[in-house]
Amino acid sequence: MKFFESGDTREGAKLKVFYKKLLDQVPDVIFKMVWLKDDLYSITYASENVNDLYELTVEQILKDSDILFRERILPEDKEETIESLQHSKNTLTQWSIEYRVQLPVKGLRWLKVIAKPELQKEGTVHFYGRVTDITEQKNREEELNRSQQRYKFALQAASEGVWDWDMVSNIVHFSAQTMKMLGFEEKEADVPQSFWLDRIHPDDVTIREAAKHKGLRKSNTAYESIYRVRTEDGSYRWMLSRGKAVDFDDNGVATRSMGIHKDVTLLKEKEIELANTINIIGDQNNRLSNFAHIVSHNLRSHASNLSMVLNLIKEADEDEKEEMMHHLEAISDGLSITISHLKELVEIQFEVKTERQKLNLRYYLKNILTILHHEITKHGVTIEINIPLDVTVSYNPAYLESVLLNFTTNAIKYSNPKNKPMIVYDFELINGQKVLSISDNGLGIDLKKHRNSLFGMYKTFHKHQNARGIGLFITKNQVEAMGGKIEVSSEVNKGTTFKIYFNEEDQ
Amino acid sequence: MKKINNLYVIDDDKIYHFLFKNLLKQNKIDVNTTFFPNGYEAIEFIKNNRDSENLPELILLDVNIPIMNGWQFLEEYVKDRETLKRRSTIYMISSSNNEVDIKKSRDYQEIVKDYFLKPVCKEDLEKIFII
Repeated sequence: MKFFESGDTREGAKLKVFYKKLLDQVPDVIFKMVWLKDDLYSITYASENVNDLYELTVEQILKDSDILFRERILPEDKEETIESLQHSKNTLTQWSIEYRVQLPVKGLRWLKVIAKPELQKEGTVHFYGRVTDITEQKNREEELNRSQQRYKFALQAASEGVWDWDMVSNIVHFSAQTMKMLGFEEKEADVPQSFWLDRIHPDDVTIREAAKHKGLRKSNTAYESIYRVRTEDGSYRWMLSRGKAVDFDDNGVATRSMGIHKDVTLLKEKEIELANTINIIGDQNNRLSNFAHIVSHNLRSHASNLSMVLNLIKEADEDEKEEMMHHLEAISDGLSITISHLKELVEIQFEVKTERQKLNLRYYLKNILTILHHEITKHGVTIEINIPLDVTVSYNPAYLESVLLNFTTNAIKYSNPKNKPMIVYDFELINGQKVLSISDNGLGIDLKKHRNSLFGMYKTFHKHQNARGIGLFITKNQVEAMGGKIEVSSEVNKGTTFKIYFNEEDQ
Repeated sequence: MKKINNLYVIDDDKIYHFLFKNLLKQNKIDVNTTFFPNGYEAIEFIKNNRDSENLPELILLDVNIPIMNGWQFLEEYVKDRETLKRRSTIYMISSSNNEVDIKKSRDYQEIVKDYFLKPVCKEDLEKIFII
């Protein structure tokens, strides 16, 4: 590619004044370029705008077209420009190229050339074309690119996915990040809305619907809800979904909404853990308050009796002294019993005896009933056991014995004199948790009055000599130390049913 | 000083019953004392004898007693008070130094005169019986 000075500067002059005026007004540069057979080229016409686009005069270009390649086009873009020009000339296809020029005044600019080659008779090729300054457009493109990259990176860093829901066609666009959260390839996708809905945890459907319903109203700014979504490996992740309706039809009904997804599983799990911890602390607090109660009431009552005896004994006569000595013994016994209860309670709290074994429930129950054989025959109690032979629970043996013993002796102790006593042991699974129900037809407990204090320490509700009010309290603590719970239902003069839930992990 | 003829002590502690009797005796307080082991038996007895001259001038009530505790007894007593031939002055006497209990006794200002912590001593008796 070599420049030759065609000397034919009349191309411009040949133009009618009318056309020349028009061409000079176009913001683009209009040009004609001639190629001779021997790879010789020359620009034979350029409109006035070269002043603006190249900061060269028309004359400079016509006399020395090479100046464009020498002093204007950036060296980096030169080779590609020439190559595409040659290609276009050889194949006679449209020449279209974007390149950068370095101008003395305006500095770096982007130019775009579009030209059409035309083969002439003697083998020469004429290009007719125009050059446009596309710097502004290029800058905008660049800016858009940058902001898109920034946005993409920000989403990645924040591990947030974006969704865009066309509510008319019910197709949702999910960003790559959302697809990745669901366990798919990190690639954006357009899917029917059911793709997402089918993955929502059944327990969370309502809460999400409610939030969405509220959020899609025109007056609302945004909606937000947190729910579980099933991923490809079948596990659930907690998602924070925030969204906003952006388009509405004439009736104000949302037609398009957009928002983000954020995987908040770690946060949510911590939150749940914290809530559990708070429950445990609450329980501990209750036990502590019960403990304080025992100390306050029972130890104090022994201590005050002791102090009264000591005060009175000084002034008492011989017979009374003798009797007071007996009472001193009784106070001492009472104190020992209270202290042993305290010790038992402390042991449960500090989980001294929590090692577990796989225990056959029926076998343990039979053992307890053998121990209580005398009591059972004395009261003529009918026993009915509906526990499958092979049911086992992972429990502490001493606790299991104590729990069975306590509920059984209670059922016998508070039997209704009007009925023939009967105790029924039923086994069932409730939500996968093993549950033993112990039902009697005894006196029953007025739960309206006593529900809150039923399992408290030293609470008794019956006019009964042996009522001490310690059994249920200890039993409840043992069951809870094993990770389970107790439920009670009762009706006065009809009977009582205690449900013992064994620990949840034990499935 | 008003003469107190009849006294009810509502407390489940048998040893306390004995000790309290002795305390009265040693302080030379001569009063007809009836003991009830819980609130239920006491309120039933009072209801059944609402027209009797022998209803007590004074009731000493413990808080932590079985079946019907001190507060439940008071609730029932308040309901029936107007229909009784004689309205009693009530003192709470308990080993509970729980703030909640002590504050709660003030809710019954009208009928509960004071709250004494066990052990009951000579000075307490003087306050109670010199009305």
